[in-house]
Amino acid sequence: MIEATASRSESAPPMAAPAATGESPVRVGRPVVDVSGVDKIYANGTIALQGADLTIRQGEFVSLLGPSGCGKSTLLRIMAGLGDVSRGTVKWWEQDYSVVGQKGRKLAFVFQNATLMPWARVRKNVRLPLDLAHERGPEAEAKIDRALAMVGLSAFGDAYPRELSGGMQMRASIARAMVTEPDLLLMDEPFGALDEMTRNKLNDDLLELWQAKGWTVVFVTHSVYEAVYLSNRVVVMAARPGRIVDDVSIDVPYPRGADFRVSTEFAAYCRQVSKSLELASRQGREVRS
Amino acid sequence: MKRPLLENERFVQIAAPLFVGLLFLLLWELVVQANDIQPYILPGPVAIAKAFVEDAGILFQGLLMTLKVTFLAFAIAVVLGTAASLLFVQSRWIEVSLFPYAVLMQVTPIVAIAPLIIIWVKDTTWALTVCAVIIAIFPIISNTTLGLRSVDPNLLAMFRMYRAGRWQQLIRLRIPSALPYFFGGMRISTGLALIGAVVAEFVAGTGGSKAGLAYLILQSGYNLKIPRMFAALALITLTGIVLFALMVWISDRVLRNWHESALKVEQ
Ligand SMILES: Nc1ncnc2c1ncn2[C@@H]1O[C@H](COP(=O)(O)OP(=O)(O)O)[C@@H](O)[C@H]1O
Ligand SMILES: [Mg+2]
Repeated sequence: MIEATASRSESAPPMAAPAATGESPVRVGRPVVDVSGVDKIYANGTIALQGADLTIRQGEFVSLLGPSGCGKSTLLRIMAGLGDVSRGTVKWWEQDYSVVGQKGRKLAFVFQNATLMPWARVRKNVRLPLDLAHERGPEAEAKIDRALAMVGLSAFGDAYPRELSGGMQMRASIARAMVTEPDLLLMDEPFGALDEMTRNKLNDDLLELWQAKGWTVVFVTHSVYEAVYLSNRVVVMAARPGRIVDDVSIDVPYPRGADFRVSTEFAAYCRQVSKSLELASRQGREVRS
Repeated sequence: MKRPLLENERFVQIAAPLFVGLLFLLLWELVVQANDIQPYILPGPVAIAKAFVEDAGILFQGLLMTLKVTFLAFAIAVVLGTAASLLFVQSRWIEVSLFPYAVLMQVTPIVAIAPLIIIWVKDTTWALTVCAVIIAIFPIISNTTLGLRSVDPNLLAMFRMYRAGRWQQLIRLRIPSALPYFFGGMRISTGLALIGAVVAEFVAGTGGSKAGLAYLILQSGYNLKIPRMFAALALITLTGIVLFALMVWISDRVLRNWHESALKVEQ
């Protein structure tokens, strides 16, 4: 915790960033997930998270960025209620996990690999959350159609996952997450295995959907560029022990097009975030030696 | 486009082993003829073929009996084995307490317990069936249990996140995940059911109207009707092959859309 505070004060705001951070509208939303003082120690003794404090607010797009093994997935899974914490508390919509799934409090998770059921056609995969909730009928079918259309897979409902490319499988996985019209979308390196072109395309698609639907998104990545391009906030993490070391606001309005990727503003943010990452890893090394 | 036969994968798959087999039979016949070996020592393929035709009636009856026991045993093994697996995955406690006994059943030589079973079970067909079930059930139990446990942990996490009940988990996730393993178990199990049926009959040694192929082999041995013995043996082998092929076919049909084992990969 002391380290985290120290590094936070050390990272200066980038030259190009607008100064009016406090007025950013995304900061005033209600907390959707609130992680406070969370430690996670796995049974084998690995300290995957230490003293993690993080509040995700309504409508935000937050990236968790850090080297592999720094506990990004662990933190995201905790936010999804998929793992117990060793210490600390997690709140969803300012309440406990039992509210998750209710109307206006739906949660969806996209895994790093598409995690589709190989024996089921795309449409059946996408409808799984509805099936599990016993939602049937024309309304459910319409939801599935919309989800497939959103990710551009309308023509592939009858295909088996193995017949799709990696990018398309990922889209199917995103469609499955979207079919319940979630309020909070948690994504664990969803585009990590894709080529850059597909990745950029899906990034833009995701931003578009996020804006249109008013979701709250937490997005895990180990790419500085992806994090800066997508997010309102980049949460920088470091390993051994896994911890949050910085929280950088990216105050650039959406939509952010291809121009943003090559702007000096973008470069400045990337530099700031990279520096923060580097600093954290150096501190980590000093702690160990 | 017409391709030369030798480049046709299917043709080669069938023709090559067939050719080897014919060559072997030819050599066998030649050796028997050249050395003037008596049929009661080693009959040639021609003599065996003759026995096939002459004894077609009893051979066919024997085959029917053996098939009946095999199918009965296989069906019971599949049903009971699957039920046991489903029970095992319900709780760690059940599995830990019962699985060793499944292993125990597997490692006990069937020949050693068959006489007991034959004493206990009055009806011969059922006695043989019980013996065959005992050895055919293990691959079903072990494979299916393994399959039901081999669920993608992320998919399982997702099912939990969407609050899927136990039943939904089983039907929509565990059973489909287990299918390839289950079919793997079936392939082994059919062969074992046949072996079980034959071995049990050897031990039982009962003849009469319920005589199967094993009894036919025993009897032909006593009477020095060695060509008939070979014919019965050939029938058992053939049955085993056909059953195995049938299992492969069924598993390919069911899994062909998604599982690696049944996919025809286009390069
Ligand atoms: N189920 C687990 N059991 C034990 N250790 C784990 C488990 N999952 C993750 N870890 C360990 O916890 C640390 C953080 O892992 P993870 O959250 O997956 O990191 P990241 O997603 O940032 O790469 C790593 O050292 C990893 O080896
Ligand atoms: Mg990870």
